[in-house]
Amino acid sequence: MLTEEKKKEILDRLKQGVIQYDEDAVREAAQEAVELGMDANEAIFEGLVSGMEEVGRLFEEQEYFVPELLMCADALYAGLDILKPHVKKMDLGVKGSVVIGTVEGDVHDIGKNIVKMMFDVAGFTVYDLGRDVPLDRFVEEQLRTDSDLVCLSAMMTTTMVGMQKVIEKLKQKNPNVKIMIGGAPVSKELAEKWGADGYAPDANNALKEAINMISSLKKMRQEAEANRVEK
Amino acid sequence: MAVSTLTPKERVLKLFRGEEIDRVPCFSGMGNVTTDGLNRLGYRFSQVHLDPKMMAEAAATTPQLFGFEAAVVPFDLTVEAEALGCEINVYPHSEDILYPTIKEKLIHNEEEMDVEFPSDLLQRGRIQLVKEAIGILKETLGEEYPVGTYVLGPFTLAGQIMELNDLLKLSFKKPDKVGSLLDRLADVIIEVARDYESAGVDFITVREMGATSDVLSPRVFRSLILPYLKKVFQALQGNTVLHICGKTNDIVGFMMESGTKAISVDQKNDIAETRKKLGRDALIFGNYDPYNVLVRGDEELVRATIRRCIENGVSAVWPGCDIWPTVPPQNMRAMMEEVRNYKQ
Repeated sequence: MLTEEKKKEILDRLKQGVIQYDEDAVREAAQEAVELGMDANEAIFEGLVSGMEEVGRLFEEQEYFVPELLMCADALYAGLDILKPHVKKMDLGVKGSVVIGTVEGDVHDIGKNIVKMMFDVAGFTVYDLGRDVPLDRFVEEQLRTDSDLVCLSAMMTTTMVGMQKVIEKLKQKNPNVKIMIGGAPVSKELAEKWGADGYAPDANNALKEAINMISSLKKMRQEAEANRVEK
Repeated sequence: MAVSTLTPKERVLKLFRGEEIDRVPCFSGMGNVTTDGLNRLGYRFSQVHLDPKMMAEAAATTPQLFGFEAAVVPFDLTVEAEALGCEINVYPHSEDILYPTIKEKLIHNEEEMDVEFPSDLLQRGRIQLVKEAIGILKETLGEEYPVGTYVLGPFTLAGQIMELNDLLKLSFKKPDKVGSLLDRLADVIIEVARDYESAGVDFITVREMGATSDVLSPRVFRSLILPYLKKVFQALQGNTVLHICGKTNDIVGFMMESGTKAISVDQKNDIAETRKKLGRDALIFGNYDPYNVLVRGDEELVRATIRRCIENGVSAVWPGCDIWPTVPPQNMRAMMEEVRNYKQ
């Protein structure tokens, strides 16, 4: 039986499991949530995402560093894999798909993977091109999938300059596509100059951006829920 | 105006010995080839990694054109990993500046972490090519300019030969296993660096940027990174620099403790604080932003930044990373002029 109390307990286990990067604990709690017929969206947003919000805070306070962050992400995915098939479609006005990848010459993909995680959580269809991606591949994949969003990542100054070309080509073929760029050397000024729609300069900020995005989704979900109850 | 009688080589070597010099030098231990230099030679960036003569010629252009106070080879970060058996990509067809990367890792999972390294390491990949380039530079401009080279630090090299993602997680979950890999990689680095030393290189920079505090905690730096850096520096006889970019203020003490002669930090480091912490004799190299200031800034920003580096107490004006080749020549000249004319 899914009592309020039981629900709270499961959400807390999901959350703590993510924070303590305990994949098994998250898996167990997610399994139980499914068995008890808990709303999968709620389990994801109030459980897993709440945990990741706390991880973001710990990261910012330098309590956690990148290894911990990666392990927390693994724990989140362990839960997400179980819960996702049970997600009911939400109408939040946020839908669609995204093309994501690290630009040619760059083989660092940790930042990209953190941003990808956010899209996975938010229910986007993610076309992950991986790393060291030839610039034209981004354009081809966007056209093939008609994705609303393209995310380009570069960890090094030495590869960042390639982004400018991709942005140009993408905007030329499809002026409506939104482009987000990320990576250590990226700045707000460069993003603006090159015509990108958003940017995140490092893993820390990528995570923060990601959390901001999922937090606002979470809020929308709560509001949608409240409206539904009122009606 | 008093004309300086020291050559760049004398100035840099005196600096390493802790002797009085006329002014702070302006050099680097990392890549500093410029498109200006490459164009004069008629070389593309993708060509200069594979031929010792072209590599040396390209490296020589920065001192020749601008009076920059060191020539440094190689230009990429894959030399040791390639010798260990990784396949690299130099992007031969690219007209742009793309640095060589690792195409195929040596270690694909935790089980493979105890893979045996080649016994004829020095004969593999491009180690002898780099050594030869050092020899050519010593011959052509080694009287006047110091010749530098670099190797990766054990942790950063580990991140080249295996997935960084796995390495970072295992640093936490299985530090002993990572430790024994780093220990063996320290031996590799020592072997390579000693070979470079035997070619007469004037200073070697150990680049351990994978262990920046943006990624690893100072606590893990001390327990997992520092022991193997100590091992490396203990084994090297010549002039050494330890470079780590990103956040470093909390680890500069450990960096010094590694036994390096000098440390190199980037624009994220608060140099004044570091100077206070390490004392007046510590050799601290840094810390201008080689892209946002040197490439994208105007001459005024370059001059102001260089002045601030000196005022904050650097022992040498030195970039936070490789100098990005498309640097405008007038910015290189402005930097050199500012260092030469700086009056306390």
